[in-house]
Amino acid sequence: MRKTLSILVWIAVAVAGALAFGRLALSRGETISAAWLLVAALSTYAVAYRFYSKLIAAKVFALDAARRTPAQRLEDGHDFVPTNRWIVFGHHFAAIAGPGPLVGPTLAAQFGFLPGAIWIIVGVAIGGAVQDFVILAASVRRNGKTLGQMAREEIGPVAGYTALVAVLGIMIVLIAVLALVIVNALRSSPWGTVTIGLTIPIAMLVGVYLRWIRPARVLEASAIGIVLLIVALFAGRWVAEHPTLAPIFTLKGTTLAWLIMGYGFAASVLPVWLLLAPRDYLSAFVKIGVVVALALGIILVLPPLQMPALTRFVDGTGPVFAGKLFPFAFITIACGAISGFHALVASGTTPKLLERETDARMVGYGAMLVESFVAVMALIAACVLTPGVYFAINAPPAALGTTVESAAAAIRNWGFTVSPQELTVLAAQVGEKSLLSRVGGAPSLAVGMAHLFSRALGGGAMALWYHFAIMFEALFILTTLDAGTRVGRFMLQDIVKHVWSPLGRRSWYPGTLITSGLFVAMWGYFLYQGVLDPLGGINSLWPLFGISNQLLAAVALCVGTTVIVKMGRGRWAGISLPPLAWRVVVTLTAGWQKLFSPDPALGFLARASALGRALAAGSLPAGRTAAEVQRMIFNERLDAAVAAFFLVSVVVILADSTREWIGLWRGRVPVRSTETPPELDGGGVARRATAGAAS
Amino acid sequence: MSPRALGALVARLGRSLRRVLGAPDYERYLAHMRLHHPGEPALSERELFERRLRDRMERPGGRCC
Repeated sequence: MRKTLSILVWIAVAVAGALAFGRLALSRGETISAAWLLVAALSTYAVAYRFYSKLIAAKVFALDAARRTPAQRLEDGHDFVPTNRWIVFGHHFAAIAGPGPLVGPTLAAQFGFLPGAIWIIVGVAIGGAVQDFVILAASVRRNGKTLGQMAREEIGPVAGYTALVAVLGIMIVLIAVLALVIVNALRSSPWGTVTIGLTIPIAMLVGVYLRWIRPARVLEASAIGIVLLIVALFAGRWVAEHPTLAPIFTLKGTTLAWLIMGYGFAASVLPVWLLLAPRDYLSAFVKIGVVVALALGIILVLPPLQMPALTRFVDGTGPVFAGKLFPFAFITIACGAISGFHALVASGTTPKLLERETDARMVGYGAMLVESFVAVMALIAACVLTPGVYFAINAPPAALGTTVESAAAAIRNWGFTVSPQELTVLAAQVGEKSLLSRVGGAPSLAVGMAHLFSRALGGGAMALWYHFAIMFEALFILTTLDAGTRVGRFMLQDIVKHVWSPLGRRSWYPGTLITSGLFVAMWGYFLYQGVLDPLGGINSLWPLFGISNQLLAAVALCVGTTVIVKMGRGRWAGISLPPLAWRVVVTLTAGWQKLFSPDPALGFLARASALGRALAAGSLPAGRTAAEVQRMIFNERLDAAVAAFFLVSVVVILADSTREWIGLWRGRVPVRSTETPPELDGGGVARRATAGAAS
Repeated sequence: MSPRALGALVARLGRSLRRVLGAPDYERYLAHMRLHHPGEPALSERELFERRLRDRMERPGGRCC
């Protein structure tokens, strides 16, 4: 009876999901409710979790609740600590969820809501969540080894070292593009600048409190910090309305870029307790709070999606970023569908905390589904704006001009309607002078969120909600930026110590200063060129970030496949090979087009040649000097070199893995499990159950 | 629910939340040291806290995009 009921419920869930997808896909010319998107997402997640993740847990890994985990065997009280699965879930989710799933879907909305929605929902179920789960399970079975160690040991040294250098490259591009998102949100915005600026002394105050006033009282200190953040929100408004203070904090993009580089350097050389740690706590609270609030806002309002299912820009002529729907929708949205970076988290702290092997399913697969849901919500928030407003905020000045009249005219040419007054009124409503060309996704998401929150609470206070959303996104981003700069510095130290060993010594302060400066200069260069780029910078940097993140996903899936084959379960490689093949095809196509497309809007080399021809003919782009154009040409070539490096890395890792797989298949490499030998719980624990029975 | 039980529940929720944020559970650490390493000196609460912090902030993968 119960079984029949269960079957009926699951059939109903599946049918609801299929109907919702059908409704989304067939909508043409009329706006449809975000409810359809929510139903499609939630029912797909439910079915995927209940059936697909269970299949992986039971058949591929045969996860066993009685098999002792590294946390149990190696418990030491600080690194390896058996932890309740809900706590590990929360910790893992807070670590994987960053600004990526917010920015990517917002940018990809230029194709309409449908491509992003399908990729986020389907991609996570068969790609991203599988990757996170497989890497977590593999690491748990190997005493919590990292992805780099596993790549070296399971595949070979070539793949291992390529992965190591690639991670450093990814960090540089990631930090540069995120910093650029902040610069574009704060440019000429005294309110935003003051509020975000104040979060730094607030974090330091919380740090001092935690170290000297009430040591280790994390919750108390965070509560004080959150109250101060709200004060900072109002202080920003006060400054923005102040006749003499407002101009002082109305900053240009280049000034903001220098300030952010200074902040990254400080975060890398100051003690962690002073800045990084307290900011991390505040950000984790705000993150969880806003994700819950956004979900409530969307469910309460159930807004109509103003963006059409598909826009004309699927042909590759879009102003937000260049390139056709395939492959660029799948490069632009990485986090939320599949993110290689998660493999570093899933092989970091998380495997050292799992109390039972079977918890890997909820933590690895489950937390990624939640991140995907965050991406769906970001997509909804971007699509509640009318297309006219969306493109006014997200298209670069080269496409819109610099006045509301020129922007409205350009947008009318694309076939969407928006009036200059509408743009002026909206900017005034959110407390800004202008919203034009605030590329990078954060401002349009903030307008969308302000719209939702304001409507959910009966209207009004748009300006406060907008700046609250900007503060929340900036906190997210700065947490990735400062921690990333510090980690990048350590990685750089590990590399340069082969050149001059004192630089690698972590205790030698001049070495810390030099390597921190070097790493900040690396990402700072890309940031600065992005700020000056008339196409907005995001246009070239975000695809590079997407390609690099997918490169890491390819590494993770190669490791996962090798691990599965070595367990003697090669016939189950079917769970990791299709997403791997898809990632490789998408990454190589996108990388190739960014390099060699003859269209100057898309190909780096074509744009360098076009600029070179313009320079030779003496017809410089508006307002640019010859020296500036020379530098733009150099930057295009540099971007091309970075893209080429990522492409070669993908090929090297895939070739090295294929060599290992052929060896296994031919019997040259023994099919022998590389796992830590199992130790079963002998203590009469009555929880012995395999993953299949446990659910 | 008695006020005392409520207090205990709040304390437990607080401890869980701390651990979600990545702060260590000092009582658990002390219990571990007493059980497995009796006689060895244990870290103070602040030392353990900072050790966990350093560990989290020096590897890639502590934070994601």
